[in-house]
Amino acid sequence: MAASIASVWEGPLGIDAAVVKLRRGDPDALATLMARYQNRIYRYLLRLVRQPADAEDLFQQTWIRVAEKIRSFDTSRNFDAWLFTLARNLALDHLRRMRPSSLDEPKSGDSSEDTMVSRLPSPGPGPFEQLLARERAGRLAVALENLPLSYREVVTLRFEEEMKIEEIALVLATPVATVKSRLYRSLAQLREILETSAGGEVRA
Amino acid sequence: MSRLDEHAEIRKQLPLFVAGALEVDAESRVALHLATCSDCSAELERWQLITGGLRRLPTPQPPAALFERTRALAVAQLAQHREHRRNRIALALLILFSWAVTLAGWPIFRFATGGLLSLLDVNFRQTWLLFVVFSVGTWLAGGSAAVLLSLRRQQEGRLA
Repeated sequence: MAASIASVWEGPLGIDAAVVKLRRGDPDALATLMARYQNRIYRYLLRLVRQPADAEDLFQQTWIRVAEKIRSFDTSRNFDAWLFTLARNLALDHLRRMRPSSLDEPKSGDSSEDTMVSRLPSPGPGPFEQLLARERAGRLAVALENLPLSYREVVTLRFEEEMKIEEIALVLATPVATVKSRLYRSLAQLREILETSAGGEVRA
Repeated sequence: MSRLDEHAEIRKQLPLFVAGALEVDAESRVALHLATCSDCSAELERWQLITGGLRRLPTPQPPAALFERTRALAVAQLAQHREHRRNRIALALLILFSWAVTLAGWPIFRFATGGLLSLLDVNFRQTWLLFVVFSVGTWLAGGSAAVLLSLRRQQEGRLA
């Protein structure tokens, strides 16, 4: 277990040149990293806080924090996990300040598609298929949005960020077994929400 | 284990199977069962619809202006951080230099005033009193110069 976590911390491709340059204070390296991670970090923050305006604010804070803390980052470690941990800590602080109960409770009241879903770009060309895909993706996005925070983040890190279980455990600072258990419960809850909203079986 | 129990056990593991979160031996046990069980395979497909859907969820795009705005702020932070670091190093060097000047200046001062030998004198009280006065005087002069320089720099920064 300790060995597997250590292997995840080790950067798979060795030291990233942009990260090394950023540690020396190179502003171009910062722009390179921002361009590489901007969509992923914004999506992750949006999944956590659910409000685009808050996600934008936290996105800014995350990169300012990166500029502040990059010298303390050990380049032999996994930059993704470090970056997502920074973003997560800022998002959790924000949620605690805004509404302490929001850390565990599903989004109340507004479950309509006018926040996150309305900002999703259309999934691709094609008339009827596009409509079906949009409808399906919309229902799934709404279901995801209504999961409690601890489930939402584990789902987005696993299926959207494609992180390994051990990597997620590092970001969340929890044991691997806890990550698996949250993953299991979040999928079960998602299925339940989808089946309820579809009035029966999960449909293709 | 009866066939019914096996089905129940396998189905319990399907969410983690589709999430790629099972240990290797548990994963191969599930895969082996799925190869011969159409009911569990159908159940697997239902889970795959969810995980596949999650993987294909469109990525929300940040507003275009956000990138530039954030980059400017972060670069400013980077520059500020660099300047603070430079200032810390300069301050440390200044302190070292001040101590060197103080320690080296004292014998010269005593020599110039004709009292070099009194460093070894038994009359410590007077010698160390002079040393303290000399050090405090030097440090006050240095500190005042540093404060004046920093005020001037702040003023220049405001004007720029």
